[in-house]
Amino acid sequence: MDGCRSGVPTYEGDLHVVAAAHHIVKALGATKNLSDDLRKILIDLDSHLSMITSNIDSKGGRGLVDVEERLDQAERKIMRWETDPMMIWDSGPKEASDYLEAVDETGKLVDGLRGLSVHENRKQKEILHRAMNIFQTAMSRLEEELIHILVRHGQQFEPKNMYSRSIRKDIVYDESFVSVEDEPTKETSSQNCSNDESGECIVDLVHADVIPDIKSIAKVMFTSNYGPEFCEAFISVQKEALEQYFSFLGTEYLSIEDVLKMEWTCLSSKMNKWTWSMKIIVRVYLASEKQLCDQVLGGLGSVSSYCFLEISKATILCLLNFGEAVAMGPHRPEKLLRLLDMYETLADLLRDIDTLFSEEAGSFIQLQFHELLERLGESAIAAFKAFRVAISSNGSLYPFAGGGVHPLNKYVMNYIRMFPEYWNTLNLLLKNQHPGVADQVTKPDYGPDTSLLTSCPMAYHLRSITSCLESNLHKKSQLYKDEALQHIFLMNNIHYLVQKVKGSELRLFFGDEWIRKHNAMFQQHAMNYERATWSSVVSFLKDNNPGSSSMSKSTFKERCKGFSIAFEEVYKTQTSWSIPDPQLREDLRISTSLKVVLAYRTFLGRNLAYTDDKCVKHTVEHVENSLLDLFGGSSRSLRNSRRW
Amino acid sequence: MPATDYQASFLGRISIRRNQVIAMDGNHEQELQDLELFSKHVSERFAELLSSPDDIPFDALLSISWLRKLLDFFLCCEAEFKGVLMMGNDPSQISKPPLDRLIPEFLDRSVKALDVCNAVTNGLESVRHYQKLAEIVVSALEQKPIGDGQSRRAKKALTSLMSAMNVDDKECSAAKATERSWSFSRRGVSSKDRVPEHFRSVSNQVAKNWSAAKQIQAMTNNLVPPRGAEGSGLASPVYTMSVIMVFVMWALVAAIPCQERNGLSAIHFPAPKQLNWAQSIIGLHEKIGEEWKKKEKKGTAGLLDEMQKMEKLGNILMDFTDSFQFHGDITDQKAEEAAARSAELAETCRRMEEGLLPLQIQIREVFHRIVKTRTELLNALDQVGKSSPPLL
Repeated sequence: MDGCRSGVPTYEGDLHVVAAAHHIVKALGATKNLSDDLRKILIDLDSHLSMITSNIDSKGGRGLVDVEERLDQAERKIMRWETDPMMIWDSGPKEASDYLEAVDETGKLVDGLRGLSVHENRKQKEILHRAMNIFQTAMSRLEEELIHILVRHGQQFEPKNMYSRSIRKDIVYDESFVSVEDEPTKETSSQNCSNDESGECIVDLVHADVIPDIKSIAKVMFTSNYGPEFCEAFISVQKEALEQYFSFLGTEYLSIEDVLKMEWTCLSSKMNKWTWSMKIIVRVYLASEKQLCDQVLGGLGSVSSYCFLEISKATILCLLNFGEAVAMGPHRPEKLLRLLDMYETLADLLRDIDTLFSEEAGSFIQLQFHELLERLGESAIAAFKAFRVAISSNGSLYPFAGGGVHPLNKYVMNYIRMFPEYWNTLNLLLKNQHPGVADQVTKPDYGPDTSLLTSCPMAYHLRSITSCLESNLHKKSQLYKDEALQHIFLMNNIHYLVQKVKGSELRLFFGDEWIRKHNAMFQQHAMNYERATWSSVVSFLKDNNPGSSSMSKSTFKERCKGFSIAFEEVYKTQTSWSIPDPQLREDLRISTSLKVVLAYRTFLGRNLAYTDDKCVKHTVEHVENSLLDLFGGSSRSLRNSRRW
Repeated sequence: MPATDYQASFLGRISIRRNQVIAMDGNHEQELQDLELFSKHVSERFAELLSSPDDIPFDALLSISWLRKLLDFFLCCEAEFKGVLMMGNDPSQISKPPLDRLIPEFLDRSVKALDVCNAVTNGLESVRHYQKLAEIVVSALEQKPIGDGQSRRAKKALTSLMSAMNVDDKECSAAKATERSWSFSRRGVSSKDRVPEHFRSVSNQVAKNWSAAKQIQAMTNNLVPPRGAEGSGLASPVYTMSVIMVFVMWALVAAIPCQERNGLSAIHFPAPKQLNWAQSIIGLHEKIGEEWKKKEKKGTAGLLDEMQKMEKLGNILMDFTDSFQFHGDITDQKAEEAAARSAELAETCRRMEEGLLPLQIQIREVFHRIVKTRTELLNALDQVGKSSPPLL
């Protein structure tokens, strides 16, 4: 408001000087980047100059009358809204700016009158009090308008648009380790991560159109010393909006006791949800909130960061507490991947957190984040160790029927198949584990195959996990009384191990040498199986006197019978054995076939004279076909095929 | 005075360590001495807390600085406790009776204490809000000359302050359940300075249906003084530390706004008076319990000394603003009186400004310490358990 306008130029000289000064002050006040103090001084000066103008007028006898007139005018504008059910800012921009003008005018009159209080007189004091009363009404009203605008134009955003819900390793093993006997069903998910996770995503928490309105309210309230009222109202509404958004995300408030008592499947999904909400809250919501605070309270020093901290602190602490509770809980092996998810999320957000809470007052929050990160790391390592302990101590009382792939093997291999996804984190966390390990790791005994990946800490730990697994499988194989079945079991399981490594990124960490070595291992078991099962069977068909052309008929009959009985026995037992991998089954059948069928054919061929139907129970074709039934997993019998 | 006391307790801690080194050599005598020293320190510390003079506002019972001292003592006792329990002894002891039962119970109590810490941290957010409102009152009444406008400004902030402080616990939880609305009911009401309803009451809760009183009640479950031969062994520091923990949590909940506190005064401490160290704790419990009973009926945000001052000064200043509005003006004497009260309120705000954040940080420290000790005890139990075959 231009103070010069109101006066009649009685003392023109004075007025010119004052007007000139006033212009300079206004021009200075328009400069950006003024410090708060300087701005305040200019504002004070501005109102003083206005008052001098009126004072000069008053010497002309019109001063107070004029002030009173101006106050009357402002009062009318302000008080008319007190009976109006409409909100001012809803009524239109003209109404809002008129109102702000009237508030500004009143403020100037208050400041001016107060500045003059040295030559106090009754009338002047009365006007001052009236002005201050009107001013209070206006400030109170502005606070209401502020809350109304924030609530009415507050916008919630759909989290779905922010991050796709099922990010990379979403569907992993949710089974607990103890349920190892079950068939693992869930396979890994696709690498579907449509959104760029690192991308900053800022939304308008309050509609962009009303930001200037909020700013204008902030400006007038702060210059009038009503900053605290503004902050409290702003914080209250925004804090509640954040809390509402928090429950909108479906995040519950959970006590630490609740979390510790929670069942694994439930906890696992909560951990998942936490990872997801944490990202959205920090990277989207809080980043946006920070922007809003800066937009509205930018030029006011530390006010913006103070408000931001007050708005966000409680929710942040609540999220952190869930993390603390999880990290405190028992270190079950199945928790490992979820813990790593949480760890990675947090590690990933640290930079954002450090930026959001860069002020000194926020260092408390920063510190809590860093502490939790450390705790989650420790907890992940503990779960990792527990995983290994669980593998080596997984005991069985009975042999695993059929000699197929043991559930422990399946569980472990499907589980560690996820590890490469967490390569960096695991390396970081495992680096300091077992200091002795470090030397070994740098010099792996895997020949020339020393790529970087095979010699990283995770690779070492992976190999040590599988060797734990292998020795446990060896222990389990001892439960079979039948040596051949021991070999089938080991062949199956080592083959499975190799397949899992070869078929995933694990191969990069295990290296070609490891794969070669383990290929050789299961092949060795296959050979051992053949020897254990078939050597005795085939021995019936061996010619004891290679010199003579043929054996006696009785010997032949006896050999034939011996072979039949042995073969039928093998058939009966080994049809119930299982080789789940079709290729492996096929390979073993072929190699068995080669050995057995060939020997049988030679045996019969050499003794053609005796091969009447009576004593040769099985034809070569029959033996060959029967071999195809082996390892099908269900016991069959050749008994009723033909009698002798 | 506080400085020398801290020093004393610090030295006490050092001496305990030195003793433990000897105790590790298997000196049973030394162990007994450690136990004695531990309970001696406990009783000294709590005697000091009990003797806090009410007339010195800075150190008054349940003032911010008193609570900080309480938490500091808690941390000291806790450190000594851990030392007595874990450093000086054969680790296998903790898996033998009666500790095999007492330690898990103690850990259970610890977890409950963590939730109390969080509830209290939430409560401090509310206290911070009261402080901000009180600061507005102060800044309004500071203006000279005081007029109707300023008095209305003060009254508005006072109304918010008083209603926020008088929300009783039930309402805190209820406000959460129903969606709060920012209604001022503009139509019909012609009050000049409307105060928004539900203006920021207790914020985030610990969990649905969670109750601070029940939690603390649950912490006292199974808490019985060791009897007979147990009394001379490690059962006694576990018991002592449990009582301290329960008491500290109980005092925090009584002082600071908290989710659901019905029945807080009914919580009984099974601490027998004949135990030397327990006397001061019992004394404090009785003193605070009396206060709580007085306030409980009216519904109070908490016994925090600064908050009580705020309430008292708030009431006086409220009368002042009322009479101001009624008469339009006031006598100089009244103005002086109001200025004095306002200055007191300003002083209270200043103390809150100085103390609330450190208090919050300290509660977090207590939280982390409890977590840490729990982890260490679990690890120790785990180590001992390794000799027996694992479960999996």
